[in-house]
Amino acid sequence: MFRRQVVLLTTILVVSVAAMVLTLLWGNRPLLGLDLQGGVSVRLTATEPATEEMLDQSVEIIRNRVDALGVAEPEISRTQDGVMVALPGVDDQERALELVGTTAELRFRPVCEVLPAAIPGTGGSSGTSDRSAEPFASCDLVRTGTVRPATGADGVTVPEDDNAGDFVILAGGDDAATGDRRFVLGPTVLTGEALEDADADFIDFRWQVGVTLHGGGVGIDGFNAAAQRCYVGDASCPVLAGYSNGLIAIVLDGEVVTAPQIRAPGFERDRIVISGAFEKREAEDVALALRYGALPVELVAENTRVVSASIGEDSLDAGVVAGLVGLALVALFIVGYYRLLGLVALASLAVSGSLLWAIVAHLGTQSGLALTLAGVTGIIVAVGVSVDSNVVYFEHLKEDIRDGRTARSSVDRAFPIAFSTIVKADVASLIGAVLLWWLTVGAVRGFAFYLGLATILDLVATYCFMGPLIRVLAHTRWFADRPGRFGLPAAGAVGSLAATARRQELVT
Amino acid sequence: MIGTLRRLYRGENPVDFPRWWRVAAVASGLGLLLSIGSFGLRGLELGIDFAGGTSYEVVAPDASVGEVRDLLAGHDAGGARIQLLDGDVVRIRSDIDDPARAAAIRETLTAELGVVETFEQVGPTWGDEVTDKAVRALIVFFVVVALYISVRLEWKMAVGALVAVAHDIVVSVGVYSLLGVEVTPATVIAFLTIMGYSLYDTIVVYDKVREMTGRLGATERHTYTELMNLALNRVAMRSVNTSITSALPVLSLLVVGSVALGATALREFALALLVGIVVGSYSSLFVAAALVARLKEREQRWAQVRSKLDGRGLLEGPTRPIGRDEASVPESRLIESADRTKGPARRRPTPAVRPAGGTPPRPRKKRR
Repeated sequence: MFRRQVVLLTTILVVSVAAMVLTLLWGNRPLLGLDLQGGVSVRLTATEPATEEMLDQSVEIIRNRVDALGVAEPEISRTQDGVMVALPGVDDQERALELVGTTAELRFRPVCEVLPAAIPGTGGSSGTSDRSAEPFASCDLVRTGTVRPATGADGVTVPEDDNAGDFVILAGGDDAATGDRRFVLGPTVLTGEALEDADADFIDFRWQVGVTLHGGGVGIDGFNAAAQRCYVGDASCPVLAGYSNGLIAIVLDGEVVTAPQIRAPGFERDRIVISGAFEKREAEDVALALRYGALPVELVAENTRVVSASIGEDSLDAGVVAGLVGLALVALFIVGYYRLLGLVALASLAVSGSLLWAIVAHLGTQSGLALTLAGVTGIIVAVGVSVDSNVVYFEHLKEDIRDGRTARSSVDRAFPIAFSTIVKADVASLIGAVLLWWLTVGAVRGFAFYLGLATILDLVATYCFMGPLIRVLAHTRWFADRPGRFGLPAAGAVGSLAATARRQELVT
Repeated sequence: MIGTLRRLYRGENPVDFPRWWRVAAVASGLGLLLSIGSFGLRGLELGIDFAGGTSYEVVAPDASVGEVRDLLAGHDAGGARIQLLDGDVVRIRSDIDDPARAAAIRETLTAELGVVETFEQVGPTWGDEVTDKAVRALIVFFVVVALYISVRLEWKMAVGALVAVAHDIVVSVGVYSLLGVEVTPATVIAFLTIMGYSLYDTIVVYDKVREMTGRLGATERHTYTELMNLALNRVAMRSVNTSITSALPVLSLLVVGSVALGATALREFALALLVGIVVGSYSSLFVAAALVARLKEREQRWAQVRSKLDGRGLLEGPTRPIGRDEASVPESRLIESADRTKGPARRRPTPAVRPAGGTPPRPRKKRR
């Protein structure tokens, strides 16, 4: 019995010290949420019913865009009817909002040249893209080096320099038709405004993409103007080696979606068919991309939240200071009231606290789970619950000693009863935390998670640390001789009739 | 008051709880009436998270409310609520939920006033969604907790606990409504916390009651109410201590939140919690306990005990306190009753009354 207590006690001490050491060694730190370090969060909802697949695709696209911002832990997730984006610690908040909120522009550009994919890290020139060119400017300008498109480190034009009127070098997407190649492209000849609809069709036993354009100048006429040049291989849209006509690239979000060859000088109807070696899925993807701009569904910002870094810091400071002051006050009270038992309670708090810190830091570093202001309050609340576990036990102990038991026998008897009370109450808290986490959204969820976590750790610390430690202490002579040091009444004295009588005399 | 606490500390049973229950019933009734009345008449001041709209906090040391209102009027948003907070912060709340207009105002504020420290824009449907979810969560929570208490304790206690929790929530909502404090997601968290505290507290009290009735109930020398009184006296000190230790961190939140910039949310949150902790402790001792005592006294078993004791004229006047000598009779001396606490039964029987200055049963051994 005694040995078991010592084993439990040693185990929990080793575990919590190891947890702290590992946390420090691995450099785990809690990830601070948006409200504690500043940042941007946007909840986007689809304007029309969207399938999970479409939303997943949107999440991917937004993630790609946001990656350019260099946010350490972007949190982009699919919600029931849209996408949730949280960018804690983002510096350029304006640009972040812009990137997330806008649907990228679709551009039609003639292809001047097709290059192999660049080896990453090579090339890169500042370029002279400020010399913007007219639509249908001759590709010779690029070939002769009069105009050099601006490129980044990986040989393609970076999004900042991807202006509609410039010559640019852009990479193909992931699919087989355009992947692994770079395209030198002329100035934009037509934008997505010209497009009315696009869909994947199965014609002549092949998957093709059917595109419907609006009528008029910004539409079929504009497209025909370009098609005419490309069909004959004009200087602005040359015929490349291996092709019989010029190519027009359809560019989205700085990526060439497809670059079809123009096989007719003009299109009578407003319907254009892009045929090629499309798989069914590829055709659908291209059609989707054309139809919705970059995102497969139109998303509007339903909720936006911007917190500046300084406010975040202030909130964090306030939370930390409040936590420390509160802890100090609790420590004073509990030690003043329970003496050495109070110290035991504080040690128990330290054990559960170090475990909590280790878990929060681990989750923050490994899983990107952020600690928000709501989470901090959950933890502060849990401090109260945790101390209460000790109070329940100590008061039980006192009762038993007053009832005439010795300190040692009270310790053995009171713990199971008190622990059963603690379990009942903690389980009720846990039920609440689990349900809240499961059924609610946003800040309440963070609160529920940390409350639940802290409650479980409280049970662990009570069962493995506080209980055994007091039982071990109870076996020392020190404990039996001077219960006053532990804030306990003298054993047996209160229970006797004589003592009761004596005390009554004193009271009256 | 201090004297009562001192005697509670010494483990005497100075408080006649059943007598106070009557006072508490009136107080709670009034409180509930006031809360419901205020809620019905004034309603709640819903924040933008529930009603939709935008909020801005701008650092602008020299701005006046009129100046800000003029700026906003240019955007057709003259009706916004404008507050000057401490720390040179201007807080603006408007019901604009159109992202484009909200962004335009934000640009104006940045250009004309100063740095927009926080900006929040919430669409009109979000609040309903959140509220629906919260209400659903609440209902499920009540059902599950009721089941849990019914299994671990008994269903009458489940009724008492849920009534007490509902009491606390209604009173807290009433306080919010009366003071006109804005309801934000933090408020919802505060209410949930209050529920948690209250429930936790009530379960601790009930567990003690069950221990006492389990131990002494079989003697049939006391009514349920008297046993309840004993249990409450024994658990009161715990309730006081726990309330203090729970309230201390919250109090420091309140103080720090008042001093620190940008922590106004913390302050409102702390205020709600403080009210909740006090009301929660009160309701466990005075509402939850009283209700269960009422329900249990109607049970055939306890009604018989009562009429027997009443026949002997023992139940007149204040609630009879149960002396320590009787309360501490070890359970082995008592008839085993069906719903005894599952304490460790392996304890050896010890004499009920020990001689003064009793020595530990075993000779001391040096353990080293």
